This record gives sequence, structure tokens and C-alpha cells, in this order.
Amino acid sequence: MAALRAAGAALLRPGRGAEAATRLGYHKKVVDHYENPRNVGSLDRNAKNVGTGLVGAPACGDVMKLQVEVDENGKIVDARFKTFGCGSAIASSSLATEWVKGKTVDEALKIKNTDIAKELCLPPVKLHCSMLAEDAIKAALADYKLKQDSNKEVSEKKANNA
Amino acid sequence: MRAALQRLVAVSWRPRVSRLAPRQRCAATGPAPAPRCWSCGSALPAAEGPPLFCPGCRALQPPGPHPDLFRLMACDRSFRVDAQQLQRRFRSLQRTVHPDRFGRRPPEEQYYSEQHSSLINKAYQTLLNPLSRGIYLLELHGMEPAQETDCDADSVFLMEIMDINEKLAESKNDGILEEIDTLIKVKQEELTREVAEAFERDDFQEAKKLLAKMKYFANLKDKLKNKKIPS
Repeated sequence: MAALRAAGAALLRPGRGAEAATRLGYHKKVVDHYENPRNVGSLDRNAKNVGTGLVGAPACGDVMKLQVEVDENGKIVDARFKTFGCGSAIASSSLATEWVKGKTVDEALKIKNTDIAKELCLPPVKLHCSMLAEDAIKAALADYKLKQDSNKEVSEKKANNA
Repeated sequence: MRAALQRLVAVSWRPRVSRLAPRQRCAATGPAPAPRCWSCGSALPAAEGPPLFCPGCRALQPPGPHPDLFRLMACDRSFRVDAQQLQRRFRSLQRTVHPDRFGRRPPEEQYYSEQHSSLINKAYQTLLNPLSRGIYLLELHGMEPAQETDCDADSVFLMEIMDINEKLAESKNDGILEEIDTLIKVKQEELTREVAEAFERDDFQEAKKLLAKMKYFANLKDKLKNKKIPS
């Protein structure tokens, strides 16, 4: 919660509220994600079934972390995010965590930045925020897959040596 | 093929000028007409861009298009600038062109004074700040700045940025804020040094990477400033 507020501090003085944000040009859906954040936080990055995606946007200096917890059936059962950047970046990653929950890894890989941008009614100047969120999802899932592959290697080696 | 096309275009574009016809004002070929003072019509010397004042009537002239900010601020085109010299130049220029000095001049001249003054502010701010100076220098060297759609995946660096952001967000007392402030300052100084070295060896790719890192720290600095301001 504090992270979210601090992240938006540059744009929104705490306490000004949704009204001011809308006046500044943020769509109410973006403001909603900012005021009522979903899934802010962290998962244990060392856990075998957790994938962590950490991405940054060099042009604007936004940084986004998205984590997924996958069960033995390959279904994403939990997701968390932490984003330090503009309201649109926060909303994009918040929405991303909502959308990946309940999907399989392959289904989640199909989430496109254009879908996120459309859902949040992002203006053209903020489209890159949705791209960053898509990159974060892919990075988290790639990390998860890498972990599974290396775990598989380890258990195969053990089986061979036994 | 291309040469033939070029010849064709050149022939069809050449204006048919007879000795009796009035000289064409907007010639497709030939040198551009000499710029003239808007106030008295004298020809202006076009040596290194338009002069500030008309040599004839001393009226302030408009700034030229695409001014080189380094040249404007009398600095070498280099990442290393002498901040004091820059400030002296800034003040000297503003003393000459600031709108306060053109209060009794015709409206057109007042407008030009505003344009010059803004431009000098912009040049000063751009060259004073290492990040903006570096980005501007990259552009002058034909390097594309970081695109909005670029994505950084340097985990180690981004984790460091995440950490500092989290500490800042959770900080509850001035002591921690001071610690973070110092940390950011040290990192910025280090990066500035590295950028200077990269530019010195004309390693623009490296300079671009380092400037991207500086951007993250610049954002942190802004957030910290906002936290310090009592709301």
C-alpha cells in the first residue's frame, strides 16, 4: 500500500484523491487500480514454483516486478506485483496480476499489451506501460520455466547417479 | 536508374528565367536569399547563424531554427562542462535578452526576447544537469535516445533499484531518508564519472546504457524530494 502511494507521489499528493487524478487525465479505471490496489506484494522468489519477472523502462525509469505461483498442474494460483512508476504502469501491472490468476502458463503467455491498454483505456502516450506489463508477465513465466527445467535436470541427475 | 531520375528531376525543376522577367523570389536552385532585419530591412550577416541584434538598427532578431545549445552557451560540445562558466554565460545572456529589458520595445521585438529567454533557460537546464546533457549529446551524435518501448532486463541492477524504492516507500524517519539521499548521491556521482569516461572514448552505446541507469536514480531523487516536502 505504502509502495503504491509513494510510487504515485510524484503525480498525486497523498490525500488529493480520485477527483484530482481524473482531472489530471487518468481514466477512472486506472485511478481505481491506484486507490484499490490488487495483489501488491511479494512471493518467495526462492520457492520452486514461483516465477519472478523484473523489468524496467529505460526511457521513463519505471520499474516493475511481477511474480506468479504455479501449481503442479501448471495453473497460476497466485500473483503479486510491485511497481514504481506512473499510475498507468501501476494499473497495468495490477491488472496483469488479476488476469494471470487462474490461467495456465501457456494461456497467460497469450496476454497482449493491447488487451491491457484497451481494458484500462490508456491514452497513446501511456501505451508503453501496458507493454512493460506484458514484458513482466513473460519474464515471470520464463523464470518459472527455467526453474522447472533446471529442477528437472537436477532430479534426473540424481536418478542416474542412484 | 537513380542518376537518370535525378537528371530528369533537375531538368524539369529548373525555372525558365528570362532576362526581362522579374527575378524569382522563391528559387528552386541557387543559394538562399540573405536574411534581412525585420525592422529596417538591412541584410544580416549569416556567418554562424543569425546575429542577436541587427548591425544596422540594433533591433533584436528572432532565434534561428535548431540552435545548437552548446554553441549558444559557449561551451565545447563535450560531456564535461564548467558549471560556473555555464552559469556566468547564462546570466550574461539573460541580461542581454530578458523580456524585462524590452518592455518599451515594439511587440514583435518583445516576442523575440521571450523566445530567446526561454531558449536560454532551456539550454542552461539541459546542459547543467548531467542526465539531460548526456541525452542531448547522444542526440547530437546521431544516437537514438532510449525508446518508450525499450525494456530493461538487467536483473541485478533492477533489483537494486527496487530495493531502494521499497526502502524509500517504507521509510518512517528523516534518518533513513538521509541515508537513502546519500546513497543516491554517491551512485549518481559514480555514474556521471562513468558517462564522462564513455563519452571521452566515443563509446556512445556504453554512454546510452549508463544514462538509462541514471534515469532510474533521477526518479528516485524526485520521489525522495517529494517525501521531504511536508504535505
